[in-house]
Amino acid sequence: MESKFCENGRIFVLVEREGLTIAPITFELLGMGKRIATQLKGILCAVTIGHEVADISNKITHFVDEVYSIDHPLFKSFKPELYISTLEQLYQYVNPEVVLIGCTLNNLDLAPRLAYRMGVSVITDCVQLAVEPETGHLLCTKPVFGGKITSIFKLMKKPYIVTLRPKAVEPIGTGSATGKIIDVDPVIDESTVKVEMIEKISEEAVSLDRAKAIVAGGRGVKNAEGLGQLRELVEVLKKYFGKVELGASRPLVDAHLVPSSRQIGLTGEKVAPELYIAVGISGSLQHLTGVLGAKKIVAINTDTKANIFKVSDYGVIGNFEEVVPALKKKLDEL
Amino acid sequence: MNPLKLVVCAKQVPDPEGPADAFRVDPEAKKVIPVGIPPVINPFDENALEAALRIKNQIGAKITVLSMGEKLAQPVLRKALAAGADELILLMDQHFKDLDSSSTAYVLSSSIRKLGPFDIILTGRQAGDWDFGVTGLLVAEMLQIPVINLARKVEIKNGSVLIEKLCDGGYEVVKANMPLVVTVSSELGELRYISLRALQAYSKTPVKIFNAMDLELDLQRMTHRTICNLLAFQGERQCKFAEGETAQDKAENLVGLMKRDGII
Repeated sequence: MESKFCENGRIFVLVEREGLTIAPITFELLGMGKRIATQLKGILCAVTIGHEVADISNKITHFVDEVYSIDHPLFKSFKPELYISTLEQLYQYVNPEVVLIGCTLNNLDLAPRLAYRMGVSVITDCVQLAVEPETGHLLCTKPVFGGKITSIFKLMKKPYIVTLRPKAVEPIGTGSATGKIIDVDPVIDESTVKVEMIEKISEEAVSLDRAKAIVAGGRGVKNAEGLGQLRELVEVLKKYFGKVELGASRPLVDAHLVPSSRQIGLTGEKVAPELYIAVGISGSLQHLTGVLGAKKIVAINTDTKANIFKVSDYGVIGNFEEVVPALKKKLDEL
Repeated sequence: MNPLKLVVCAKQVPDPEGPADAFRVDPEAKKVIPVGIPPVINPFDENALEAALRIKNQIGAKITVLSMGEKLAQPVLRKALAAGADELILLMDQHFKDLDSSSTAYVLSSSIRKLGPFDIILTGRQAGDWDFGVTGLLVAEMLQIPVINLARKVEIKNGSVLIEKLCDGGYEVVKANMPLVVTVSSELGELRYISLRALQAYSKTPVKIFNAMDLELDLQRMTHRTICNLLAFQGERQCKFAEGETAQDKAENLVGLMKRDGII
């Protein structure tokens, strides 16, 4: 089963889109892919899959050697069955060494099933990857036990398939490559689709991953009124940071006070802003695992023993209903 | 119509809400050793059980809970019976220790095939220990039936399963026929409250136990994760507290600290 890397082996990145633009995770996947490709003297490749993706494929050529473009009206929306069988066909044909996939909600469905069909294991939600020099195996760093422990797993059977956590690695720099586009025409069997999509409900579009500062509320922020105070703080911070967003830990999302698109943590977004202000968040590790990338963390909490203070740079012990308005006022005056 | 047969796959894990220092690492053995925290049913599997119970309330169903492991604590898993499950089956064998996701899915899917048929197989989106999020999907692949990942609502309507599932940018309403696998996310809601009295009432209910031989499993297919290294939590920072008598003082001090450090 074990095998060394081949020179000129292909390192594949699955391109993620947000409508007609390239999602930021794509550049992170490309950054990681490029580092691996350089180390292995491999060929960096990308796959775009969707409908009317020619523009995106063209843009991606600046970063890679080969772009495999799969363009079909049936791929307009994400249908796991069709995406998986199409990628399986492509990969069976091109025989990649490494397949890098963004850890998005849709890909939580896609990656494990794709790996199973390729006869290999997948390591999900990785934050770092490295090639073991003497063996060529892939070492995959992944937070486990809700972020309490970091584990390094080894993949030994190719293709090495992993999903990469957003905001975990450096994105690729400016692109000066001149890759070629290869159009792929897969066999698409619509009869394999057993799940009928009835309706898609879009929640407010939030780009927590692009925010420079985030004010996040937790269980301690009990109601809409409390959230209102947090929103006011968000507004004031825009003066200093430009792009500022409201976030939340799981209790507020499960209570339907905040949409899941604003959830930060293990099963939500992983963020890495300049400043993260945690309000009424006790700091369960499954939340913390989503914020450890923040440059500076401020915690506001009534409980002096709250876990959140252990991972914070600044702490305020007090009732947020008093501290947040005072902080807002102070920042406003400055 | 016969009542629906639902199976919930539930894993026993060390309580994920336990503090970081309760999870020790044995770097030699490459194992995680929980210290001073009890095992619990994986919280996402509790969400899956709640989904099953709501279906039972809606139209009636028989719920079987399946749990697999080397050693399982019956008092922990009996909680499922107290919550309203009809049957608890433990798959216990020394060969089930530290299996990887695909072997776990192999054991579960083989058991489901043997003990079934079932109409809906429910499980949590991921387990609170290794957080892979793979097993439920692979059970579906192995049984060659459809799977819907990350459900936040599950209902039966006109003989089909209607599901709200998380997707990038929001959620989707989807429909599928049975049999199928559904993995459930926390958005569905927590497992209902169970009184101590209910827990005690089920403390003696018989549970079925099967081992690898009973299940006619191929032991060659039992594979393990290859772990090279385990590191304990390293995210700790030195916290500077903004002191003060009043909230105003504290806020002022906080702003002062942040200004001094060049954050604002």
